[in-house]
Amino acid sequence: MTEANNIFNAVPCTFCGCLCDDIIIEVDGNRIVKNTNGCAISKERFIGHAENRCLEPTVSGKTVSLEKAIERAVEIITSSKRLLIYGLSSTENDAQREAYRLAELTGSVVDNTTSVCHGPTILGAQESGEATSSLAEVRHRSDLVIYWGANPAAAHPRHIPHYIRQPGEYIKDPKNDRKIWLIDIRETTTARMVDRFIRIEPRTDLEVIQTLRALIRGHKLDVSQVGGISIADLEEIAIAMKSAKYGTLFFGLGLTQSWGRHRNIDAAIRLIQDLNAHTKWGLLPMRGHYNVSGANKTSTWVTGYPYAVDFARGYPRFSPGEYTAVDMLARGEADALLNIAADPVAHFPRSAVSHLTKIPVINIDPKINMTSQVAEVNIPAAIAGIECDGAATRMDGLPLYLRKVIEPPEGVIPDRDILRMIIKSLEKVMK
Amino acid sequence: MTEHLILKNGVVFDPMNGVEGEVMDICVSEGKIVEKAPSNAKVIDLKGNTVMAGGVDPHSHILGSKLNVARVVSPDVNRHHPYPATKKTRSGVAGIIPSSFATGFLYSAMGYTTVVEPALPATKALGAWEEIEDIPGLDIAMLPLFCNSMISFKYVQDGDISGLAAYIAWTLKKVGGLGVKVVNPGGTYAWAYGKNVCGLDDEVPEWDVTPRTIMTGLAEAVQELGLPHQMHFHPTNLGRPGNVHTTMQQLDAIGGIKPSGKKKEVVHLTHMAFDCLGVVEEGMSNWKDVASGGLTFADYYNKHKHFTVDLGQITFGQSMTMTGDGPFQHSLYLLTGGKAKWSNIPVDVELPGGAGIVPFTFEPKSPANAVQWVGSLEFALNIKDLWRMFLSTDHPNGGPFLKYPLLISWLMSKKQREHWLGKVHKFASERSTLAEIEREYSLNDIAITTRAAPAKILGLEKTKGHLGLGADADIAVYGFNPEKTDLANNPDLILKHFLQTEFTFKGGLQVSKKGIVGKQLHSRVISVHPELNQDLSQRIDRELEEMMSKWFSHSFSNYPVPKRYREHLEMPTVIDSTAVKA
Amino acid sequence: MNSGSVYVLVTSGRTLSQGRAMEKGKMTSDYEDAVAVCELDATSMESLGIENGETVVVKSGIGEIAVKAKLNKNLHPGLAFIPCGPYFNYLLDSYTQHTGMPGFKSLAVTIDAAPEMKISTIEELAKKIKEGK
Ligand code: SF4
Ligand SMILES: [Zn+2]
Repeated sequence: MTEANNIFNAVPCTFCGCLCDDIIIEVDGNRIVKNTNGCAISKERFIGHAENRCLEPTVSGKTVSLEKAIERAVEIITSSKRLLIYGLSSTENDAQREAYRLAELTGSVVDNTTSVCHGPTILGAQESGEATSSLAEVRHRSDLVIYWGANPAAAHPRHIPHYIRQPGEYIKDPKNDRKIWLIDIRETTTARMVDRFIRIEPRTDLEVIQTLRALIRGHKLDVSQVGGISIADLEEIAIAMKSAKYGTLFFGLGLTQSWGRHRNIDAAIRLIQDLNAHTKWGLLPMRGHYNVSGANKTSTWVTGYPYAVDFARGYPRFSPGEYTAVDMLARGEADALLNIAADPVAHFPRSAVSHLTKIPVINIDPKINMTSQVAEVNIPAAIAGIECDGAATRMDGLPLYLRKVIEPPEGVIPDRDILRMIIKSLEKVMK
Repeated sequence: MTEHLILKNGVVFDPMNGVEGEVMDICVSEGKIVEKAPSNAKVIDLKGNTVMAGGVDPHSHILGSKLNVARVVSPDVNRHHPYPATKKTRSGVAGIIPSSFATGFLYSAMGYTTVVEPALPATKALGAWEEIEDIPGLDIAMLPLFCNSMISFKYVQDGDISGLAAYIAWTLKKVGGLGVKVVNPGGTYAWAYGKNVCGLDDEVPEWDVTPRTIMTGLAEAVQELGLPHQMHFHPTNLGRPGNVHTTMQQLDAIGGIKPSGKKKEVVHLTHMAFDCLGVVEEGMSNWKDVASGGLTFADYYNKHKHFTVDLGQITFGQSMTMTGDGPFQHSLYLLTGGKAKWSNIPVDVELPGGAGIVPFTFEPKSPANAVQWVGSLEFALNIKDLWRMFLSTDHPNGGPFLKYPLLISWLMSKKQREHWLGKVHKFASERSTLAEIEREYSLNDIAITTRAAPAKILGLEKTKGHLGLGADADIAVYGFNPEKTDLANNPDLILKHFLQTEFTFKGGLQVSKKGIVGKQLHSRVISVHPELNQDLSQRIDRELEEMMSKWFSHSFSNYPVPKRYREHLEMPTVIDSTAVKA
Repeated sequence: MNSGSVYVLVTSGRTLSQGRAMEKGKMTSDYEDAVAVCELDATSMESLGIENGETVVVKSGIGEIAVKAKLNKNLHPGLAFIPCGPYFNYLLDSYTQHTGMPGFKSLAVTIDAAPEMKISTIEELAKKIKEGK
């Protein structure tokens, strides 16, 4: 670690799945005063870390001691029959591991935010496998990079400038040796950063992918256009993909959340597999939350499954659509919610949120968010990667060590320690 | 937490100390085997039980990103194999790619106490250490991959063996590794270009290196450093009929490297079942003509002493193939007509083309699978020196480690082999000599090939693989009386007893009884830290900082695994490598 | 002039200001400003007879919500955009096709000018959902 006085070098930014680890953070006393290299969101996250904080535990809106809040949390958990534990993607791996232990102990369901971001990516991979890529390899070798249904300019601001539009060992001139394309239903800010924007009609991703597959396999198609793109253009795209030396497909929620969901991903995976008969291609999901990849990883090694895991029988079972958070809530099945480092009230559809407001909610988060408004118990947490250390996983699977650069507010502890306290009291009660 | 124990009256097989089926008492104190236990020691009467050192498995894929990708992609293989939690132990799944807790428990129940993960991309080591936190009851070691790394290529290209050795030393220290793994040298790199290599002197894209210069360079660097475990080698041409010949060529090439210490072996050839396929006379290198290469390779093994081997036995049924050999995995996917779920994971700089994962079912009725099955058995039953060989299924490639008892039964029982020859495709009999082989492994042979030899091959024979004074008190007690049990004629008893021990002790603590794990122990990590001389150490720090900053996509200072994840688990052995010239 | 409703597919997603505001805090006016917005193309704006910044009401099969209209010249007619967040989600049903994933992209809606309607604050919105409205 390189920390001279109050300057921390090579700090990973804990906002998006890029997990950029070249951030320089300057701390003055108990304030972060400067973030060098980070994007606008990163700056907001570090410099604004003290804003809008939840500083004291509350039960039913009243400030209480941490012990009292834990006590009430444990009461809620023990009197619930079908606890849902949710969130976990914006915290570090150890907190996630404690959450699985808690789920096992209480026979609960534990799901992470994957279910509403790249869950379909995982389901697609379960159909077809996945031929992935890694960020340095893309930089060194990829001469054709396609973003599909992704808007990195807004969601991963440094993805293009820091990782992709950079010279690599075998791509000396990133402007000319590497082409960057965007395929989307909407001309986003990213469209202005790429070499070519291809607009397709909404809800036609699957058809366009399958058409490309057919063309790459050399089939002739008896239609004039698909998804708003002429067959001639599609043929030209297919040829370009086939003749790339090392192609990379980055895809976002435009593919996973849209019409077709996992079928889109399944097809995209097969497209990449087909292309490998001709040349080299890989794909990578643009993972959103900085440690949602880590949540999948920890869940997988501990339980065998990446998300949507139920422990009701004393061992893990996996069933997306059944043990996924939105379904658990929309069906009215969960009778209590333990939410960690996520904001389902802001991000879930209305009927799921509406059920959530009817059940006791324990909310662990550093900030005041919409879920804190409806939670019976709010427990403030230290911000991982700023106020406590830990590990997280970048979108391409690279693990990184997160830094503590500043003390958390007085009395505020990391998610993992809050969960350990809950587990400890539970073990006493359950004896 | 340590206990003092006297294990009385067991029938002991401890080949490293020349003990073959003797009734003996074993004393344990503070995790070690001792001459005499203190008077307050707990006494356990093991009359009528077989006692061996804890099993040692130097090649089993129990952690890392490829395993997690496999679990994610194939939840079906674990769905019907729950591993419930108890008051003392965590839950999981226990199919062919068990979850982490279950992995530790299943090994404990089988009497294994030391397991090596043989394919670690060093860049991802932090994740591996985190996983080990959740794999209980074992001593674990890891072998980082060096064979397709651009950094290795740079040193090999420059003929700079010192630089290469220093890169290895630096990495083993920074991430906590035990030795050097080599997988399809140059081939996985070529896969980044959609290519592979097959000949020893094939070109590798963009670099002035060849499979030969990479493998010999790395083998030499390992010797220079004096690492306890020789280069762990997965050759080129994996899974190609007729590859027994190219494998022998590669071993010949490495045979020119001089051993630097007492140990004569300079390379360990892993999963020979995949590396030593023959073809019928006048046959072509295709699956139609495949024949057992077992006899050919046994002959070579008996004549050449510079290498060690493990079987990588295929065991039939569902398996999960995963190797750092991206082009091989892709060819396996093509072999299924593109139906299989093919995954590929490149790793920055160290594995550009990528590791691959393909679920695969070995069918008894498939001629190719039957021949591959018979080859490694034919080999194992024809070699003279068992001290250079250990049993493996290359978990989960040839089948899960839970199939070890089945493998043991094939080696110990001709009756069992005949039964299986009847079940599998006739090519197994027609294209090998297995049907005529009378040899049956003794219990002592099993003790050699499952604990004593693998411990030696890893260079851990001081504390592992035996029950002599000073050894770690890792002990497996099997619930049968060797004097009264005819295992060869009752192969089902082999399956039963080798799947679940009567007791397993890890570091003197009882972890399981009759297959039920009652204690969740933290695993420990065995690693080697080679000390370089100051000049070389300074040179490598400087050169690696330059290369890594240029080539990796993350910061140089974030490469090492921080202490916080290691210090409570790691047992590093510092070795003196200061003689390596700067 | 106001010539009635437009029918569009509305999609949701991240915007830079939404991401930044979320980091600052969800209960801030920055966040509300960032997410209580509906981006429309010029043709839709024209047929609704509204100017940038005026209020529109967006109706889906399960509800309606008032947000601020914002001209996005790059949008294609037939498509509208609302940043991901509680305003969009208020219109969204929870059906996941048994995948866990609701249909955050391309929701069919009707949009009308609503100069008389007030845009709910985040708190009001939370209250509304709680009361099952
Ligand atoms: S791109 Fe993502 S990880 Fe990188 S600095 Fe911006 S928010 Fe942080
Ligand atoms: Zn292997």
